[in-house]
Amino acid sequence: MGVLKSILLLLIFLTCSIIGYLYGKSFSLRLENLIILEQCIKILETEVVYGLTPLPEALSNVHKKGKVKVSYIFSEIKNDLIQNKRGGVYDSFLSVEDKLYNNLNFKKEDVETFLSLGRVLGTSDRTDQQKNFILVSNQIATQIFEAREEKNKNEKLYRNLGVITGTAIIILLI
Amino acid sequence: MLNNINLYDSVIENLCDELNKILIKIPHNHKLKTEEIRLRNGRPLSISYGGKDYFVNINGNLSSNPSNAVIVNERHIMDTFQLISNYSVYAYTEEIRNGYITIRGGHRVGIGGKVIYGLNGVENIRNISSLNIRIGREVLGVSNNILSYIIKNTNGFYNTLIISPPQCGKTTLLRDIVRNLSNGTEGNFKGFKVSLVDERSELAGMYNGMAQKDVGMRTDILDGCLKSDGIIMAIRALSPDIIAVDEIGGKKDAEAIHEALRAGIKLMATVHGSSLEEVRNKSSIRELFTENIFERFIILDRSDGVGTIKEIVDGYSYKPIFFRKSDLNGSS
Repeated sequence: MGVLKSILLLLIFLTCSIIGYLYGKSFSLRLENLIILEQCIKILETEVVYGLTPLPEALSNVHKKGKVKVSYIFSEIKNDLIQNKRGGVYDSFLSVEDKLYNNLNFKKEDVETFLSLGRVLGTSDRTDQQKNFILVSNQIATQIFEAREEKNKNEKLYRNLGVITGTAIIILLI
Repeated sequence: MLNNINLYDSVIENLCDELNKILIKIPHNHKLKTEEIRLRNGRPLSISYGGKDYFVNINGNLSSNPSNAVIVNERHIMDTFQLISNYSVYAYTEEIRNGYITIRGGHRVGIGGKVIYGLNGVENIRNISSLNIRIGREVLGVSNNILSYIIKNTNGFYNTLIISPPQCGKTTLLRDIVRNLSNGTEGNFKGFKVSLVDERSELAGMYNGMAQKDVGMRTDILDGCLKSDGIIMAIRALSPDIIAVDEIGGKKDAEAIHEALRAGIKLMATVHGSSLEEVRNKSSIRELFTENIFERFIILDRSDGVGTIKEIVDGYSYKPIFFRKSDLNGSS
């Protein structure tokens, strides 16, 4: 009976700690993915503004050159664009919206910034495209700054909170 | 090589899904002949060939009466524009400034809308209101019968000018002459080195650096290049035997042609006009006639269908050496 109780208490402790760890980890994942997204957008900017590469090919190149952890999103946008003969790029950006939330831990403001790129991408001349890239890059840089602050503030907090909560439950049950 | 039905189907792939599904239903005999597909905002969807317009209804039936036709809306035009520009307006800025985009296959899409001027002339076209998709048909062999009139002995060439009103097949004929001159014909003459100055990407139909039309194996292409610049560039760098250009007309073109002739290069050109007399009186190129630069004139009309060769005229005596023959079916 004592052994079973010990195992149960250990499981409760581990579960609380893991929940705290994972929640804390989501802050660092968001930061990491935002940094990769920023790099991907820089690659896309180079392809569009300097290489004048047609958009489907430019999106493929971002997938190849960027870190696959995030850059696969660009490949999916390209596939959606070509397969569904979309009238505009924005619809294809919308098709990956759920993945941005669920797989990349992005917040609403991150997703909106990324989607705003889809509203203008490919629709105007080089100069105008460059202005839009600068705007989006600046916004992402701000979000990276905020994400870093949040990570520093919250990551340790939630990890510790998980451990403390687990310990508190054990103490109460003992 | 695509047959005419597949060619039509491949072109309408570039239209938005809704219009594509309608246009794919039109009868096969019309697909074979379609020269233009016209999208005008708030106006009926139409195709044209043989100088006639046909309005298309929702079932793909054609009629000369527009009352039941599908009405093109802004969404159709914008979605189609996105498709023809491959979602990459920035990559086609130069072409858009000139009023068209060349799509895969070398077909040209003319653009109508609000023209925006900047310090250096036309900067952009916004609020696009109409698109004209011109199906460029390559008709191989249409120049075979007239080669003997423009080839001098076995290794020479007469400076030749094709005179034709619009939509009479001059680009098709020029393209095929270039192909023949470049490839040569067995037993008659070896191929010439040809530099093709394709200002509007219509002759070779360059797409991503590949000629979509057969312009011969000894042909160098200066795509999207002004004729006056292209002629000079070809003289300096490509050492051609013949320079081919479409639709000469400006004074700068005439100056560049003089430069080419001074370098001993032969010339193959086309010009808009319905008769030799009309063209001779054009002030910008009159000089070329007074100096008897052109040794052969090929005059086209539509009297016996598209691409009717009305006559070939000797440039010295101004007497016809060839009379009417129609063998160009379909043109660009």
